[in-house]
Amino acid sequence: MNPLLITAILVGLVTVSTVIGLMWRGAQGRVRRSNGETIVSSQALGVDLPLSDITLLQFSSPLCAPCRATHVVLNSIAGQREGVEHVEIDLSERPELASEFRIAQTPTTFILDRDGVVRARIGGALKRDAVIAEIDSILVTA
Amino acid sequence: MTTNPVQARTRLASTGIDPRSPRFGAGITAVLLLVVIALSLAAPMAGTLAERATAPGFILFVVISALFAWGAAAGVKRHPYGAVFRALARPRLSPPRELEDPAAPTFAQGVGFVITLVGIILHLAGVPFAIVVAASAAFIAAFLNSVFAYCLGCQLYVLILRARNARGAAA
Repeated sequence: MNPLLITAILVGLVTVSTVIGLMWRGAQGRVRRSNGETIVSSQALGVDLPLSDITLLQFSSPLCAPCRATHVVLNSIAGQREGVEHVEIDLSERPELASEFRIAQTPTTFILDRDGVVRARIGGALKRDAVIAEIDSILVTA
Repeated sequence: MTTNPVQARTRLASTGIDPRSPRFGAGITAVLLLVVIALSLAAPMAGTLAERATAPGFILFVVISALFAWGAAAGVKRHPYGAVFRALARPRLSPPRELEDPAAPTFAQGVGFVITLVGIILHLAGVPFAIVVAASAAFIAAFLNSVFAYCLGCQLYVLILRARNARGAAA
């Protein structure tokens, strides 16, 4: 094959990979508001959900480095804010929840209100400020 | 208050690795895979099995595959690129802000091994462009890992769980 064509293919491959990477990174940590139709109950989860204004429900898996960073961020927000609790579920122990809540990656975080309604979901490693802003907006409208 | 069922993390302080080490290794792998693709595209598909098995691009691809197998079986902590990182790159960098569980990059090594093994088998069976396609797939994963810190295990693991659930529901 012509060396010029080979170079073009390699450059194309690097370009495609870069575009995929930028799109993936852009989607990480984006807060997506939910329509309020999904309700998470302690029964469905198999874990007692706290009776707090806001529950930060984090789904993790064993092969997941960003889950640890997300745990630290959510844990610290819950520690600082009154009425905010952090619950973490390991999907390796509850694999059926991945299908039930259509989870596409770990970490995935649900922001639940007092009634267990999923108000927002965040895929991937999250940004502290974005989570706090979302919590504030839910509490204001509550 | 917090609830944390992932107890494995408490072990991290003693077993964790510098997260830049697997990304450094993935960078080397990505460059080598580009060389494999270039060599495979430059040489026409050979006719006999012996010729196919001795093509330079194929030989380099087998070496990369063997390194994936090493990383997956021995754990990413004992991967040769990790030793290169510790000898050459680590002394020039500041200490890591946090350590990473080696399970995730070890899993990614296993995925790399499976992809490259499929390419090797199809190439030896005479399938045209098998090496180019397999090396391209492995390149994209290695590139994303190295440049963007993409976590392959984070997505693949959940996909596998959901596929298992669907199969269980259908059975």
